[in-house]
Amino acid sequence: MQAQEARAADPLPPAHARSLYRAMLTARLIDGEAIALQRQGVLPAYVSARGQEAAQAGSAAALDIERDFAFPTYREIAAALTLGVDMVGYLASHRALWHGGLYDPVASRFGAVNAVVGGPVPHAVGWAMGERLAGRTGCALSYFGDGASSEGDVHEAMNLAGVMRAPVVFLCQNNRWALSVPNERQVAGGSIAARAAGYGMPGVAVDGNDVAAVYRATRQALEHARSGGGPSLVEARTYRIEPHSTSDDTSRYRDPDEERQWRERDPVARLRAELGEAGHTDDTLARVEREARESAERVRDGICARPEPDGDDLFRYVYAEPTDELARQWRAWREEAAP
Amino acid sequence: MTVTPVNAECASTGSAHEEPGGAVEMSMREAINSALHTALREDPRTLVFGEDVGRLGGVFRVTDGLWHTFGEDRVFDTPISESAIIGAAVGLAMNGFRPIPELQFDGFAYPAVDQIVNQLARMHYRTRGAVTMPVTVRLPSFGGIRAPEHHGESLEALFAHVPGLTVVAPSTPHDAHHLLLRSVRTDDPVIYLEPKARYWDRGPVGRRNDEAPGGTVEPIGASRVVRAGRHATLIAWGAMVRRCLQVADLAAEDGVELEVIDLRWLKPIDADGLAASVARTRRAVVVHEAPLTAGLGAEVAALVTERAFRDLAAPVQRVTGYDVPYPAGPLEPRYLPTNDRVLLAVQRTLEY
Amino acid sequence: MTERTFTLPDLGEGLVEARVLEWRVAPGDRVGRNEPLVELETAKSAVEIPSPHAGVVTRLHVEEDQLVRVGDTLVTFDLERDSGIVGTVPEEAERTERRVRLRPPEE
Repeated sequence: MQAQEARAADPLPPAHARSLYRAMLTARLIDGEAIALQRQGVLPAYVSARGQEAAQAGSAAALDIERDFAFPTYREIAAALTLGVDMVGYLASHRALWHGGLYDPVASRFGAVNAVVGGPVPHAVGWAMGERLAGRTGCALSYFGDGASSEGDVHEAMNLAGVMRAPVVFLCQNNRWALSVPNERQVAGGSIAARAAGYGMPGVAVDGNDVAAVYRATRQALEHARSGGGPSLVEARTYRIEPHSTSDDTSRYRDPDEERQWRERDPVARLRAELGEAGHTDDTLARVEREARESAERVRDGICARPEPDGDDLFRYVYAEPTDELARQWRAWREEAAP
Repeated sequence: MTVTPVNAECASTGSAHEEPGGAVEMSMREAINSALHTALREDPRTLVFGEDVGRLGGVFRVTDGLWHTFGEDRVFDTPISESAIIGAAVGLAMNGFRPIPELQFDGFAYPAVDQIVNQLARMHYRTRGAVTMPVTVRLPSFGGIRAPEHHGESLEALFAHVPGLTVVAPSTPHDAHHLLLRSVRTDDPVIYLEPKARYWDRGPVGRRNDEAPGGTVEPIGASRVVRAGRHATLIAWGAMVRRCLQVADLAAEDGVELEVIDLRWLKPIDADGLAASVARTRRAVVVHEAPLTAGLGAEVAALVTERAFRDLAAPVQRVTGYDVPYPAGPLEPRYLPTNDRVLLAVQRTLEY
Repeated sequence: MTERTFTLPDLGEGLVEARVLEWRVAPGDRVGRNEPLVELETAKSAVEIPSPHAGVVTRLHVEEDQLVRVGDTLVTFDLERDSGIVGTVPEEAERTERRVRLRPPEE
């Protein structure tokens, strides 16, 4: 099996494209608010997904949230939003209220925020194996990046999925930069999609800034998995416009010309232009944009107002079956450290 | 082995200034940076590698300037592959190099634990001494900076439990500099834990090691009494040393004189130093950020009890994190040992 | 009108200070939320701080090229409408208040 380069995708139906535009734009605006909130001292740190909205919204929109499940790492705000995850709960991870976020991952069909790149990838394989064992038809979608593709966990997960023919889609957002290290120094051979061949599964590289291309490739991979064909790998080639995190400084390692070139290939602006060409009126798009802005401001105000967690939460979730020793420590904490 | 006196120049920052007596004022980050410059300059077999340590200079800028000064062959970025970083260090050491790899954050050491425990720590033993492992693993560690998950953990007990490893954690810029150079110069693998909450704190870094008159090598495993006292001994390492010094100030307001020991080497532990202190004070409180159960405080308490049982006026007390995963931002100060919690433990030993 | 101050937050995982490079506002200026307020330089990078409030700038507490510690006041605003919580300085657990008093042992 050869990794293929997908050709430019046909445009999506108008209503579908418009709803993806709304999701991508809203995610973009919330992302911008989050960066501002970090500078204003509300979030200790934030990791921007700017530039990756098409890769995330396009892939997430291909899921059937009645039965599928997505496994994110920590830069998946547009995927979360597209799946309907509570955005205040999502940003709670970045406001350091609770590491995993404060949304319900089970009800949201979207795993808890996970800071270990590569760590959740085997979980997606296991979840997918469970669907097969239970006789259900759900598929897992595993988000990871070009940097995570270097982790042993990712390779082990792909091999296991191939051996087990697990219904899982490995969705790599290759945003070119793993913190300060570019693809050339991260990905031997230059193609993550090409690695699929070694694990006996189809691999495809798509323009990650073309939301229709990402949507269709993910859709196809999900159909392949659902029909018993096993795992697939989709590499969405995109770009991390912002620094790795708000603590990072790209001027130390990245050519600003490269950033400029990718800003010109902005997936949100590109989709807006396509919508215009497809006959959406300025009025319609202006309404979507106004609603997106209002929504982003609501999320911003919501995350600012979200109360800090109760200190007892330190102890509450360590075990399903709490131990006497932990109960003792909890009592001691109340006496000595709680106020 | 003889070692030339340490040159504590700060190679990359230009912000350091020399103080009377030859000490240079710098942050812990700069002190580690200058030790790395020294190590790379002194020995062409040393190498620095890891995630983002090259062109970027590390996420905390600890390796700033090394890539520019020593070039890509000796200071290089790796893919995000912690297990391969340590595994490659083992292979490089087998081939005559002296690697100083970095694992970017405490919680990201776990993928490398297999290589550290199963390979790095026991290669010397496996080969009956035919192969040495002069590898210093730098690991930004401990909490206190409101960072994301896996960026605030304390792994010292995990590594101290592994035969063949040496574990060290500095608490001041001076020690950060000299303990790193001492680690790099031993032929055994060292896990060097950097308290990231103290990276930006400044202090004098002496040109010559205090414990090493004439520039001889200081012994691995020496603790340091950072404040003398007679009523009880506080034992800590890393960022908790400053906490204990604050507590000692508070206790002094009540006429209680606390001795504070910076353990520094977490394996081997300076049992003699602890016993000597407790012989003077008769009481001991060990303070760490890591969870209580099977934490290093248990080892310290056992050693003190074994060595100084008849001197003790009260059981050794432990003030630690709780047996819970390291928490997010606002819960962090409610997890970490506070002045009051340490004072309460002192009170328990005084009133036992 | 409500008076609100804005203090220097920890801009990146344990940083303790920053240098004011350039103010983008002057006393008397009306500034909108998220409009440029000040450019700072930390040990890690230069960052532009967007205004946390919409209102009138009444006082700049720090001059350009001056160093500011985390938690120090940067600017005071007069607000027509309070825009909620903004900015927390990490509680360094170095709280000065104490509840526990000790008694030296009898010798």
